[in-house]
Amino acid sequence: MKDFLQKVNSYIKEAFGASKYLFDGITVTFDHLRRRPVTVQYPYEKLIPSERYRGRIHYEFDKCIACEVCVRVCPINLPVVDWVMNKETKKKELRNYSIDFGACIFCGNCVEYCPTNCLSMTEEYELATFDRHNLNFDNVALGRLPTNVTSDPSVKSLKELAYLPKGVMDPHEVSSDDPRVGKLPEEVLDWMVSNNPPEELSVTNSNK
Amino acid sequence: MNNGLDLEYSFNEALKAIGLSSELAHIIWLPFPMLLVLVAAVVGVLVTVWLERKISAAAQQRIGPEYAGALGVLQPIADGLKLLVKEDIIPAKADSILFTAGPILVLVPVILSWLIVPFGQNLLISNVGIGIFLWIALSSIQPIGLLMSGYASNNKYSLLGGLRAAAQSISYEIPLALSVLAIVMMTNSLSTVDIVNQQNTAGILSWNIWRQPIGFIIFWICALAECERLPFDLPEAEEELVAGYQTEYAGMKFALFYLGSYINLILSALLVSVLYLGGWGFPIPVETFSSLLHLPLNAPAIQVITATLGIVMTILKAYLLVFIAILLRWTTPRVRIDQLLDLGWKFLLPISLANLLLTAGLKLALPRFFGG
Repeated sequence: MKDFLQKVNSYIKEAFGASKYLFDGITVTFDHLRRRPVTVQYPYEKLIPSERYRGRIHYEFDKCIACEVCVRVCPINLPVVDWVMNKETKKKELRNYSIDFGACIFCGNCVEYCPTNCLSMTEEYELATFDRHNLNFDNVALGRLPTNVTSDPSVKSLKELAYLPKGVMDPHEVSSDDPRVGKLPEEVLDWMVSNNPPEELSVTNSNK
Repeated sequence: MNNGLDLEYSFNEALKAIGLSSELAHIIWLPFPMLLVLVAAVVGVLVTVWLERKISAAAQQRIGPEYAGALGVLQPIADGLKLLVKEDIIPAKADSILFTAGPILVLVPVILSWLIVPFGQNLLISNVGIGIFLWIALSSIQPIGLLMSGYASNNKYSLLGGLRAAAQSISYEIPLALSVLAIVMMTNSLSTVDIVNQQNTAGILSWNIWRQPIGFIIFWICALAECERLPFDLPEAEEELVAGYQTEYAGMKFALFYLGSYINLILSALLVSVLYLGGWGFPIPVETFSSLLHLPLNAPAIQVITATLGIVMTILKAYLLVFIAILLRWTTPRVRIDQLLDLGWKFLLPISLANLLLTAGLKLALPRFFGG
Protein backbone atom coordinates (compact mmCIF):
# COMPACT_ATOMS: atom_id res chain seq x y z
CA MET A 1 0.00 0.00 0.00
CA LYS A 2 2.78 2.37 0.98
CA ASP A 3 4.61 1.36 -2.19
CA PHE A 4 1.57 2.24 -4.28
CA LEU A 5 1.17 5.61 -2.60
CA GLN A 6 4.84 6.38 -3.19
CA LYS A 7 4.39 5.55 -6.87
CA VAL A 8 1.36 7.83 -7.10
CA ASN A 9 3.33 10.54 -5.33
CA SER A 10 6.28 10.32 -7.72
CA TYR A 11 3.88 10.21 -10.70
CA ILE A 12 2.18 13.40 -9.59
CA LYS A 13 5.56 15.05 -8.99
CA GLU A 14 6.65 14.10 -12.52
CA ALA A 15 3.45 15.53 -13.95
CA PHE A 16 4.00 18.80 -12.13
CA GLY A 17 7.62 18.89 -13.25
CA ALA A 18 6.59 18.39 -16.85
CA SER A 19 4.03 21.16 -16.68
CA LYS A 20 6.64 23.45 -15.12
CA TYR A 21 8.95 22.74 -18.08
CA LEU A 22 6.13 23.61 -20.43
CA PHE A 23 5.41 26.82 -18.59
CA ASP A 24 9.08 27.83 -18.70
CA GLY A 25 9.06 27.19 -22.43
CA ILE A 26 5.99 29.32 -22.98
CA THR A 27 7.52 32.19 -21.02
CA VAL A 28 10.58 32.05 -23.30
CA THR A 29 8.42 32.15 -26.42
CA PHE A 30 6.32 34.92 -24.96
CA ASP A 31 9.44 36.89 -24.09
CA HIS A 32 10.58 36.75 -27.70
CA LEU A 33 7.40 38.52 -28.77
CA ARG A 34 8.61 41.81 -27.34
CA ARG A 35 11.96 41.76 -29.17
CA ARG A 36 12.67 43.68 -32.32
CA PRO A 37 12.84 41.48 -35.44
CA VAL A 38 16.35 40.77 -36.66
CA THR A 39 15.22 40.72 -40.28
CA VAL A 40 17.33 42.72 -42.75
CA GLN A 41 14.56 43.84 -45.07
CA TYR A 42 16.25 43.51 -48.44
CA PRO A 43 15.93 45.52 -50.78
CA TYR A 44 15.06 48.42 -48.50
CA GLU A 45 17.85 47.55 -46.08
CA LYS A 46 21.12 45.95 -47.11
CA LEU A 47 24.10 44.77 -45.12
CA ILE A 48 27.44 46.43 -45.88
CA PRO A 49 29.73 43.55 -46.90
CA SER A 50 32.97 43.17 -44.95
CA GLU A 51 36.31 44.29 -46.33
CA ARG A 52 37.45 40.81 -47.31
CA TYR A 53 34.13 39.86 -48.87
CA ARG A 54 34.61 37.66 -51.94
CA GLY A 55 32.25 39.32 -54.41
CA ARG A 56 32.63 39.94 -58.13
CA ILE A 57 36.22 39.97 -59.39
CA HIS A 58 37.72 43.28 -60.56
CA TYR A 59 40.41 43.32 -63.28
CA GLU A 60 42.85 46.01 -64.36
CA PHE A 61 43.70 45.50 -68.04
CA ASP A 62 46.79 47.68 -67.89
CA LYS A 63 48.47 45.71 -65.11
CA CYS A 64 47.92 42.28 -66.63
CA ILE A 65 50.97 40.53 -68.11
CA ALA A 66 49.06 37.57 -69.58
CA CYS A 67 51.02 35.07 -67.48
CA GLU A 68 47.92 32.82 -67.16
CA VAL A 69 48.70 31.93 -63.52
CA CYS A 70 45.07 32.78 -62.70
CA VAL A 71 43.91 30.20 -65.22
CA ARG A 72 46.20 27.52 -63.81
CA VAL A 73 45.25 28.03 -60.16
CA CYS A 74 41.54 28.34 -60.90
CA PRO A 75 39.72 25.10 -59.92
CA ILE A 76 37.90 25.11 -63.26
CA ASN A 77 40.44 27.01 -65.41
CA LEU A 78 37.88 29.70 -65.98
CA PRO A 79 39.57 33.01 -67.00
CA VAL A 80 39.91 33.30 -70.76
CA VAL A 81 43.20 35.09 -71.50
CA ASP A 82 43.30 36.01 -75.18
CA TRP A 83 46.95 36.95 -76.01
CA VAL A 84 49.14 36.74 -79.08
CA MET A 85 52.93 36.84 -79.39
CA ASN A 86 54.07 40.12 -80.90
CA LYS A 87 57.11 39.17 -83.10
CA GLU A 88 58.54 42.71 -83.34
CA THR A 89 58.53 43.63 -79.64
CA LYS A 90 59.01 39.97 -78.58
CA LYS A 91 56.34 40.50 -75.89
CA LYS A 92 52.92 39.04 -75.25
CA GLU A 93 50.11 41.28 -76.46
CA LEU A 94 46.89 40.94 -74.48
CA ARG A 95 43.79 41.27 -76.66
CA ASN A 96 40.92 40.24 -74.34
CA TYR A 97 40.35 38.89 -70.87
CA SER A 98 37.04 37.52 -69.67
CA ILE A 99 35.61 35.62 -66.73
CA ASP A 100 32.21 33.90 -66.87
CA PHE A 101 30.48 34.58 -63.54
CA GLY A 102 27.89 31.93 -64.33
CA ALA A 103 30.62 29.35 -63.68
CA CYS A 104 32.90 31.20 -61.25
CA ILE A 105 32.80 29.90 -57.68
CA PHE A 106 34.30 33.11 -56.19
CA CYS A 107 37.01 31.17 -54.36
CA GLY A 108 39.59 33.94 -54.83
CA ASN A 109 42.50 31.73 -55.93
CA CYS A 110 43.16 33.86 -59.01
CA VAL A 111 43.25 37.01 -56.86
CA GLU A 112 45.64 35.40 -54.40
CA TYR A 113 48.13 34.17 -57.02
CA CYS A 114 48.11 37.12 -59.45
CA PRO A 115 51.72 38.45 -59.53
CA THR A 116 50.82 41.99 -60.59
CA ASN A 117 47.79 42.45 -58.29
CA CYS A 118 45.58 43.29 -61.23
CA LEU A 119 42.85 41.00 -59.87
CA SER A 120 40.88 41.90 -56.73
CA MET A 121 37.50 41.01 -55.26
CA THR A 122 34.78 43.63 -54.84
CA GLU A 123 31.78 43.68 -52.55
CA GLU A 124 29.28 43.33 -55.39
CA TYR A 125 27.06 40.24 -55.19
CA GLU A 126 23.97 41.32 -57.09
CA LEU A 127 24.88 39.81 -60.45
CA ALA A 128 21.44 38.55 -61.48
CA THR A 129 20.59 38.85 -65.19
CA PHE A 130 17.80 37.62 -67.41
CA ASP A 131 20.16 35.77 -69.75
CA ARG A 132 23.12 33.73 -68.50
CA HIS A 133 25.26 34.88 -71.40
CA ASN A 134 25.18 38.39 -69.89
CA LEU A 135 27.20 36.97 -67.00
CA ASN A 136 30.24 36.53 -69.19
CA PHE A 137 32.16 39.68 -68.21
CA ASP A 138 34.84 40.93 -70.63
CA ASN A 139 37.75 43.13 -69.56
CA VAL A 140 35.68 46.32 -69.87
CA ALA A 141 32.93 44.99 -67.65
CA LEU A 142 35.46 43.53 -65.20
CA GLY A 143 37.19 46.89 -64.98
CA ARG A 144 34.09 48.74 -63.81
CA LEU A 145 34.01 49.78 -60.17
CA PRO A 146 31.13 48.35 -58.16
CA THR A 147 28.28 50.47 -56.87
CA ASN A 148 28.49 51.01 -53.16
CA VAL A 149 25.49 50.09 -51.04
CA THR A 150 25.99 53.20 -48.90
CA SER A 151 25.73 55.47 -51.93
CA ASP A 152 22.21 54.30 -52.81
CA PRO A 153 19.71 56.79 -51.32
CA SER A 154 16.81 54.34 -51.38
CA VAL A 155 18.62 51.75 -49.31
CA LYS A 156 19.27 51.86 -45.59
CA SER A 157 22.67 50.27 -45.20
CA LEU A 158 23.36 48.24 -42.09
CA LYS A 159 26.67 47.24 -40.58
CA GLU A 160 27.56 43.60 -40.23
CA LEU A 161 28.08 41.92 -36.87
CA ALA A 162 31.86 42.33 -36.91
CA TYR A 163 31.57 46.10 -37.34
CA LEU A 164 29.10 46.75 -34.54
CA PRO A 165 30.29 48.37 -31.30
CA LYS A 166 30.87 46.24 -28.25
CA GLY A 167 27.70 44.88 -26.71
CA VAL A 168 25.49 45.80 -29.65
CA MET A 169 23.92 42.88 -31.51
CA ASP A 170 21.28 44.59 -33.63
CA PRO A 171 22.49 46.63 -36.63
CA HIS A 172 19.24 48.61 -36.67
CA GLU A 173 20.31 50.48 -33.57
CA VAL A 174 23.53 51.83 -35.08
CA SER A 175 23.62 54.38 -37.87
CA SER A 176 25.82 53.37 -40.79
CA ASP A 177 27.33 56.86 -40.85
CA ASP A 178 29.02 56.25 -37.51
CA PRO A 179 32.80 55.89 -37.76
CA ARG A 180 33.99 52.32 -37.84
CA VAL A 181 34.54 50.55 -34.58
CA GLY A 182 38.15 49.98 -33.64
CA LYS A 183 41.18 52.16 -34.38
CA LEU A 184 43.13 52.73 -37.58
CA PRO A 185 46.91 52.05 -37.24
CA GLU A 186 47.79 55.78 -36.93
CA GLU A 187 45.20 56.15 -34.26
CA VAL A 188 46.63 53.17 -32.40
CA LEU A 189 50.09 54.77 -32.37
CA ASP A 190 48.63 58.06 -31.16
CA TRP A 191 46.78 56.25 -28.42
CA MET A 192 49.91 54.35 -27.37
CA VAL A 193 52.07 57.46 -26.99
CA SER A 194 49.30 59.34 -25.24
CA ASN A 195 48.59 59.41 -21.53
CA ASN A 196 46.38 56.38 -20.88
CA PRO A 197 47.52 53.15 -22.41
CA PRO A 198 47.74 49.99 -20.27
CA GLU A 199 51.12 49.51 -18.62
CA GLU A 200 52.50 46.85 -20.92
CA LEU A 201 51.69 48.84 -24.09
CA SER A 202 53.11 52.14 -23.00
CA VAL A 203 55.96 53.40 -25.22
CA THR A 204 56.80 56.56 -23.28
CA ASN A 205 58.95 54.95 -20.67
CA SER A 206 60.22 51.73 -22.24
CA ASN A 207 63.73 51.20 -23.53
CA LYS A 208 63.00 48.41 -26.00
CA MET B 1 -29.57 36.85 -17.90
CA ASN B 2 -32.76 35.44 -19.32
CA ASN B 3 -33.95 38.32 -21.45
CA GLY B 4 -31.18 38.71 -23.96
CA LEU B 5 -31.47 40.36 -27.32
CA ASP B 6 -33.88 38.18 -29.28
CA LEU B 7 -33.56 39.08 -32.95
CA GLU B 8 -35.70 36.22 -34.17
CA TYR B 9 -38.62 37.35 -32.05
CA SER B 10 -38.37 40.90 -33.38
CA PHE B 11 -38.12 39.59 -36.95
CA ASN B 12 -41.15 37.34 -36.46
CA GLU B 13 -43.19 40.16 -34.98
CA ALA B 14 -42.29 42.44 -37.87
CA LEU B 15 -43.34 39.83 -40.45
CA LYS B 16 -46.53 39.00 -38.58
CA ALA B 17 -47.39 42.69 -38.62
CA ILE B 18 -47.40 42.60 -42.43
CA GLY B 19 -49.66 39.57 -42.40
CA LEU B 20 -47.40 36.48 -42.71
CA SER B 21 -48.04 33.48 -40.51
CA SER B 22 -45.70 32.56 -37.68
CA GLU B 23 -44.41 29.36 -39.36
CA LEU B 24 -43.63 31.18 -42.61
CA ALA B 25 -41.79 33.87 -40.67
CA HIS B 26 -39.75 31.16 -38.98
CA ILE B 27 -38.84 29.55 -42.31
CA ILE B 28 -37.85 32.91 -43.80
CA TRP B 29 -35.75 33.63 -40.73
CA LEU B 30 -33.81 30.34 -40.83
CA PRO B 31 -31.13 31.09 -43.46
CA PHE B 32 -29.99 34.33 -41.82
CA PRO B 33 -28.26 33.00 -38.70
CA MET B 34 -26.74 30.13 -40.68
CA LEU B 35 -25.26 32.47 -43.27
CA LEU B 36 -24.09 34.84 -40.59
CA VAL B 37 -22.32 32.12 -38.63
CA LEU B 38 -20.79 30.71 -41.81
CA VAL B 39 -19.44 34.15 -42.73
CA ALA B 40 -18.24 34.64 -39.15
CA ALA B 41 -16.47 31.28 -39.22
CA VAL B 42 -14.70 32.01 -42.50
CA VAL B 43 -13.69 35.51 -41.39
CA GLY B 44 -12.51 33.93 -38.15
CA VAL B 45 -10.34 31.54 -40.14
CA LEU B 46 -8.83 34.39 -42.13
CA VAL B 47 -8.06 36.28 -38.93
CA THR B 48 -6.61 33.16 -37.33
CA VAL B 49 -4.34 32.42 -40.29
CA TRP B 50 -3.08 36.01 -40.21
CA LEU B 51 -2.59 35.89 -36.45
CA GLU B 52 -0.77 32.59 -36.70
CA ARG B 53 1.70 33.93 -39.23
CA LYS B 54 2.30 37.21 -37.43
CA ILE B 55 2.59 35.71 -33.94
CA SER B 56 4.83 32.89 -35.19
CA ALA B 57 7.02 35.52 -36.83
CA ALA B 58 7.16 37.63 -33.68
CA ALA B 59 8.08 34.62 -31.56
CA GLN B 60 10.91 33.90 -33.99
CA GLN B 61 11.96 37.57 -34.20
CA ARG B 62 10.89 37.83 -37.83
CA ILE B 63 8.29 40.11 -39.36
CA GLY B 64 5.88 37.80 -41.18
CA PRO B 65 3.60 38.95 -44.01
CA GLU B 66 3.70 42.70 -44.52
CA TYR B 67 3.24 43.42 -48.19
CA ALA B 68 -0.16 41.82 -48.93
CA GLY B 69 -2.37 44.64 -47.70
CA ALA B 70 -1.53 46.78 -44.69
CA LEU B 71 0.39 44.66 -42.19
CA GLY B 72 -0.25 41.63 -44.37
CA VAL B 73 -3.94 41.23 -43.52
CA LEU B 74 -4.79 40.18 -47.08
CA GLN B 75 -2.26 37.33 -47.00
CA PRO B 76 -4.80 34.64 -46.01
CA ILE B 77 -7.03 35.74 -48.87
CA ALA B 78 -4.06 35.39 -51.20
CA ASP B 79 -3.47 31.89 -49.81
CA GLY B 80 -7.08 30.95 -50.34
CA LEU B 81 -7.14 32.30 -53.90
CA LYS B 82 -3.96 30.41 -54.72
CA LEU B 83 -5.46 27.16 -53.51
CA LEU B 84 -8.64 27.84 -55.46
CA VAL B 85 -6.91 28.24 -58.80
CA LYS B 86 -4.50 25.32 -58.40
CA GLU B 87 -5.00 22.18 -60.43
CA ASP B 88 -7.02 19.56 -58.62
CA ILE B 89 -5.12 16.29 -58.97
CA ILE B 90 -6.39 12.79 -58.24
CA PRO B 91 -3.48 10.33 -58.18
CA ALA B 92 -3.38 7.43 -60.63
CA LYS B 93 -5.17 4.28 -59.40
CA ALA B 94 -6.53 6.15 -56.41
CA ASP B 95 -10.09 5.51 -55.37
CA SER B 96 -11.53 8.80 -56.64
CA ILE B 97 -14.82 8.63 -54.72
CA LEU B 98 -13.10 8.05 -51.39
CA PHE B 99 -10.37 10.53 -52.28
CA THR B 100 -12.94 13.27 -52.86
CA ALA B 101 -15.17 12.32 -49.94
CA GLY B 102 -12.37 12.24 -47.37
CA PRO B 103 -11.84 15.99 -46.98
CA ILE B 104 -15.60 16.53 -47.04
CA LEU B 105 -16.09 14.16 -44.11
CA VAL B 106 -13.32 15.91 -42.21
CA LEU B 107 -14.64 19.43 -42.85
CA VAL B 108 -18.44 19.22 -42.73
CA PRO B 109 -18.88 17.98 -39.12
CA VAL B 110 -16.67 20.81 -37.91
CA ILE B 111 -18.75 23.44 -39.67
CA LEU B 112 -21.93 21.74 -38.53
CA SER B 113 -20.76 21.96 -34.92
CA TRP B 114 -20.95 25.75 -35.14
CA LEU B 115 -24.70 25.22 -34.72
CA ILE B 116 -24.36 25.13 -30.95
CA VAL B 117 -21.79 27.87 -30.31
CA PRO B 118 -23.52 30.68 -28.41
CA PHE B 119 -22.50 34.32 -28.64
CA GLY B 120 -25.30 35.50 -26.42
CA GLN B 121 -28.49 34.28 -24.76
CA ASN B 122 -30.29 33.99 -28.08
CA LEU B 123 -27.37 34.66 -30.40
CA LEU B 124 -26.80 31.17 -31.70
CA ILE B 125 -28.25 29.28 -34.61
CA SER B 126 -30.25 26.86 -32.58
CA ASN B 127 -30.49 26.15 -28.88
CA VAL B 128 -30.40 22.39 -29.31
CA GLY B 129 -31.17 20.74 -26.01
CA ILE B 130 -28.26 18.29 -26.43
CA GLY B 131 -25.79 20.87 -27.76
CA ILE B 132 -22.48 19.67 -26.35
CA PHE B 133 -23.31 16.04 -27.00
CA LEU B 134 -24.00 16.92 -30.62
CA TRP B 135 -20.53 18.39 -30.93
CA ILE B 136 -18.85 15.32 -29.43
CA ALA B 137 -20.82 13.04 -31.72
CA LEU B 138 -19.99 15.12 -34.81
CA SER B 139 -16.29 15.23 -33.98
CA SER B 140 -16.31 11.43 -33.96
CA ILE B 141 -16.99 11.43 -37.70
CA GLN B 142 -13.58 12.95 -38.32
CA PRO B 143 -11.53 9.69 -38.02
CA ILE B 144 -13.59 8.12 -40.81
CA GLY B 145 -12.65 10.98 -43.13
CA LEU B 146 -9.00 10.69 -42.14
CA LEU B 147 -8.96 6.97 -42.84
CA MET B 148 -10.65 7.52 -46.19
CA SER B 149 -8.10 10.16 -47.19
CA GLY B 150 -5.18 8.01 -46.13
CA TYR B 151 -6.40 4.86 -47.84
CA ALA B 152 -7.62 6.45 -51.04
CA SER B 153 -4.31 8.16 -51.77
CA ASN B 154 -2.74 4.97 -53.11
CA ASN B 155 0.40 5.87 -51.15
CA LYS B 156 1.73 3.70 -48.34
CA TYR B 157 3.00 6.68 -46.40
CA SER B 158 -0.35 8.39 -46.61
CA LEU B 159 -2.00 5.20 -45.43
CA LEU B 160 0.24 5.06 -42.37
CA GLY B 161 -0.35 8.75 -41.76
CA GLY B 162 -4.09 8.29 -42.00
CA LEU B 163 -4.00 5.40 -39.56
CA ARG B 164 -1.96 7.42 -37.10
CA ALA B 165 -4.23 10.42 -37.45
CA ALA B 166 -7.32 8.31 -36.87
CA ALA B 167 -5.70 6.64 -33.85
CA GLN B 168 -4.83 10.03 -32.40
CA SER B 169 -8.29 11.40 -33.01
CA ILE B 170 -10.04 8.43 -31.41
CA SER B 171 -7.70 8.24 -28.42
CA TYR B 172 -8.30 11.80 -27.35
CA GLU B 173 -12.07 11.74 -27.75
CA ILE B 174 -12.66 9.80 -24.55
CA PRO B 175 -10.89 12.10 -22.08
CA LEU B 176 -12.54 15.00 -23.95
CA ALA B 177 -15.97 13.51 -23.47
CA LEU B 178 -15.29 12.69 -19.83
CA SER B 179 -14.20 16.21 -18.95
CA VAL B 180 -17.27 17.57 -20.73
CA LEU B 181 -19.34 15.09 -18.78
CA ALA B 182 -18.05 16.54 -15.52
CA ILE B 183 -19.19 20.00 -16.60
CA VAL B 184 -22.55 18.67 -17.73
CA MET B 185 -22.97 16.95 -14.38
CA MET B 186 -22.43 20.24 -12.61
CA THR B 187 -24.79 22.09 -14.92
CA ASN B 188 -27.51 19.46 -15.14
CA SER B 189 -27.97 20.25 -18.81
CA LEU B 190 -26.32 19.48 -22.16
CA SER B 191 -27.31 22.79 -23.74
CA THR B 192 -24.47 25.25 -24.23
CA VAL B 193 -26.71 28.19 -23.34
CA ASP B 194 -27.55 26.62 -19.99
CA ILE B 195 -23.88 25.90 -19.32
CA VAL B 196 -22.98 29.55 -19.86
CA ASN B 197 -25.94 30.85 -17.89
CA GLN B 198 -24.97 28.73 -14.93
CA GLN B 199 -21.49 30.24 -15.00
CA ASN B 200 -22.47 33.87 -15.02
CA THR B 201 -24.23 34.09 -11.68
CA ALA B 202 -21.32 35.86 -9.98
CA GLY B 203 -19.12 37.24 -12.75
CA ILE B 204 -15.61 35.90 -13.04
CA LEU B 205 -15.79 34.07 -9.72
CA SER B 206 -18.40 31.62 -10.91
CA TRP B 207 -16.68 30.50 -14.12
CA ASN B 208 -16.18 26.78 -14.42
CA ILE B 209 -12.42 27.00 -14.56
CA TRP B 210 -12.26 27.47 -10.80
CA ARG B 211 -14.44 24.44 -10.13
CA GLN B 212 -12.80 22.24 -12.77
CA PRO B 213 -9.12 23.21 -13.13
CA ILE B 214 -7.97 19.68 -13.99
CA GLY B 215 -10.85 19.32 -16.40
CA PHE B 216 -9.81 22.54 -18.13
CA ILE B 217 -6.26 21.30 -18.68
CA ILE B 218 -7.46 17.91 -19.91
CA PHE B 219 -10.02 19.44 -22.22
CA TRP B 220 -7.48 21.86 -23.66
CA ILE B 221 -4.94 19.10 -24.32
CA CYS B 222 -7.55 16.88 -25.94
CA ALA B 223 -8.90 19.75 -28.02
CA LEU B 224 -5.37 20.48 -29.31
CA ALA B 225 -4.97 16.81 -30.14
CA GLU B 226 -8.28 16.73 -32.01
CA CYS B 227 -7.25 19.78 -34.02
CA GLU B 228 -3.87 18.20 -34.78
CA ARG B 229 -1.99 21.22 -33.49
CA LEU B 230 1.49 20.92 -32.09
CA PRO B 231 2.58 19.18 -29.97
CA PHE B 232 0.21 16.65 -31.52
CA ASP B 233 0.61 17.39 -35.21
CA LEU B 234 2.23 14.08 -36.11
CA PRO B 235 -0.21 13.35 -38.95
CA GLU B 236 0.45 16.54 -40.84
CA ALA B 237 3.97 17.53 -39.89
CA GLU B 238 6.31 18.03 -42.81
CA GLU B 239 9.04 15.87 -41.40
CA GLU B 240 6.79 12.95 -40.68
CA LEU B 241 5.79 10.73 -43.60
CA VAL B 242 6.01 13.73 -45.94
CA ALA B 243 2.66 15.25 -45.00
CA GLY B 244 0.82 12.20 -43.73
CA TYR B 245 -2.63 11.68 -45.11
CA GLN B 246 -2.58 15.08 -46.82
CA THR B 247 0.39 14.29 -49.07
CA GLU B 248 -1.48 13.63 -52.30
CA TYR B 249 -3.92 16.46 -51.90
CA ALA B 250 -3.57 19.68 -53.90
CA GLY B 251 -5.73 22.62 -54.80
CA MET B 252 -9.26 22.83 -53.46
CA LYS B 253 -9.22 19.50 -51.60
CA PHE B 254 -6.14 20.60 -49.71
CA ALA B 255 -7.86 23.91 -49.08
CA LEU B 256 -10.68 21.96 -47.43
CA PHE B 257 -8.19 20.29 -45.06
CA TYR B 258 -6.46 23.61 -44.37
CA LEU B 259 -9.78 25.37 -43.74
CA GLY B 260 -11.01 22.52 -41.58
CA SER B 261 -7.89 22.62 -39.45
CA TYR B 262 -8.32 26.29 -38.62
CA ILE B 263 -12.10 26.17 -38.22
CA ASN B 264 -11.60 23.30 -35.81
CA LEU B 265 -9.09 25.35 -33.86
CA ILE B 266 -11.46 28.30 -33.52
CA LEU B 267 -14.36 26.00 -32.67
CA SER B 268 -12.33 24.31 -29.93
CA ALA B 269 -11.23 27.66 -28.54
CA LEU B 270 -14.84 28.88 -28.54
CA LEU B 271 -16.03 25.72 -26.82
CA VAL B 272 -13.34 25.99 -24.17
CA SER B 273 -14.46 29.54 -23.51
CA VAL B 274 -18.10 28.42 -23.41
CA LEU B 275 -17.48 25.47 -21.11
CA TYR B 276 -14.84 26.86 -18.78
CA LEU B 277 -14.42 30.61 -19.21
CA GLY B 278 -18.00 31.77 -18.97
CA GLY B 279 -18.94 32.14 -22.63
CA TRP B 280 -20.34 35.60 -23.22
CA GLY B 281 -20.04 36.70 -19.61
CA PHE B 282 -18.16 39.81 -18.66
CA PRO B 283 -16.03 39.44 -15.48
CA ILE B 284 -18.45 41.78 -13.72
CA PRO B 285 -22.05 40.62 -14.04
CA VAL B 286 -24.09 42.84 -16.35
CA GLU B 287 -26.81 43.21 -13.76
CA THR B 288 -24.55 45.61 -11.87
CA PHE B 289 -24.32 47.82 -14.97
CA SER B 290 -28.05 47.97 -15.40
CA SER B 291 -28.55 48.73 -11.73
CA LEU B 292 -25.91 51.48 -11.94
CA LEU B 293 -27.68 53.07 -14.87
CA HIS B 294 -31.08 52.57 -13.19
CA LEU B 295 -32.57 50.98 -16.27
CA PRO B 296 -34.48 47.68 -16.34
CA LEU B 297 -32.80 44.76 -18.06
CA ASN B 298 -35.38 44.80 -20.86
CA ALA B 299 -34.57 48.30 -22.07
CA PRO B 300 -33.44 48.21 -25.71
CA ALA B 301 -30.30 50.22 -25.04
CA ILE B 302 -29.21 47.85 -22.29
CA GLN B 303 -30.00 44.87 -24.50
CA VAL B 304 -27.89 46.13 -27.38
CA ILE B 305 -24.98 46.99 -25.07
CA THR B 306 -25.05 43.65 -23.30
CA ALA B 307 -25.38 41.72 -26.57
CA THR B 308 -22.40 43.56 -28.08
CA LEU B 309 -20.42 43.04 -24.89
CA GLY B 310 -21.26 39.35 -24.98
CA ILE B 311 -20.09 38.90 -28.54
CA VAL B 312 -16.88 40.82 -27.88
CA MET B 313 -16.15 38.80 -24.73
CA THR B 314 -16.69 35.49 -26.48
CA ILE B 315 -14.37 36.43 -29.32
CA LEU B 316 -11.74 37.79 -26.91
CA LYS B 317 -11.69 34.61 -24.88
CA ALA B 318 -11.57 32.41 -27.95
CA TYR B 319 -8.69 34.36 -29.43
CA LEU B 320 -6.78 34.32 -26.16
CA LEU B 321 -6.86 30.54 -26.38
CA VAL B 322 -5.90 30.64 -30.07
CA PHE B 323 -2.93 32.80 -29.07
CA ILE B 324 -1.89 30.23 -26.46
CA ALA B 325 -2.24 27.48 -29.08
CA ILE B 326 0.00 29.39 -31.50
CA LEU B 327 2.60 29.99 -28.79
CA LEU B 328 2.51 26.31 -27.85
CA ARG B 329 3.14 25.42 -31.47
CA TRP B 330 6.52 27.15 -31.38
CA THR B 331 7.41 26.11 -27.83
CA THR B 332 6.94 22.37 -27.57
CA PRO B 333 8.62 19.59 -29.53
CA ARG B 334 6.46 17.12 -31.38
CA VAL B 335 5.17 14.07 -29.53
CA ARG B 336 5.98 10.66 -31.02
CA ILE B 337 3.09 8.38 -31.92
CA ASP B 338 3.66 5.96 -29.05
CA GLN B 339 4.11 8.81 -26.58
CA LEU B 340 0.96 10.36 -27.97
CA LEU B 341 -1.14 7.25 -27.47
CA ASP B 342 0.39 6.68 -24.04
CA LEU B 343 -0.57 10.19 -23.06
CA GLY B 344 -4.13 9.71 -24.26
CA TRP B 345 -4.90 6.32 -22.83
CA LYS B 346 -2.62 5.95 -19.84
CA PHE B 347 -2.48 9.49 -18.50
CA LEU B 348 -5.45 11.58 -19.55
CA LEU B 349 -8.09 8.88 -19.39
CA PRO B 350 -7.46 7.86 -15.73
CA ILE B 351 -7.13 11.48 -14.67
CA SER B 352 -10.35 12.47 -16.38
CA LEU B 353 -12.11 9.53 -14.75
CA ALA B 354 -10.75 10.63 -11.39
CA ASN B 355 -11.91 14.17 -12.16
CA LEU B 356 -15.38 12.87 -12.93
CA LEU B 357 -15.54 10.90 -9.69
CA LEU B 358 -14.29 13.89 -7.73
CA THR B 359 -16.88 16.15 -9.31
CA ALA B 360 -19.62 13.65 -8.56
CA GLY B 361 -18.51 13.41 -4.94
CA LEU B 362 -18.34 17.17 -4.56
CA LYS B 363 -21.74 17.53 -6.18
CA LEU B 364 -23.25 15.27 -3.56
CA ALA B 365 -21.33 16.84 -0.70
CA LEU B 366 -21.68 20.52 -1.60
CA PRO B 367 -24.74 20.79 -3.82
CA ARG B 368 -24.86 24.56 -3.56
CA PHE B 369 -21.50 25.09 -5.22
CA PHE B 370 -21.30 22.14 -7.56
CA GLY B 371 -24.74 22.17 -9.09
CA GLY B 372 -27.70 20.75 -7.26
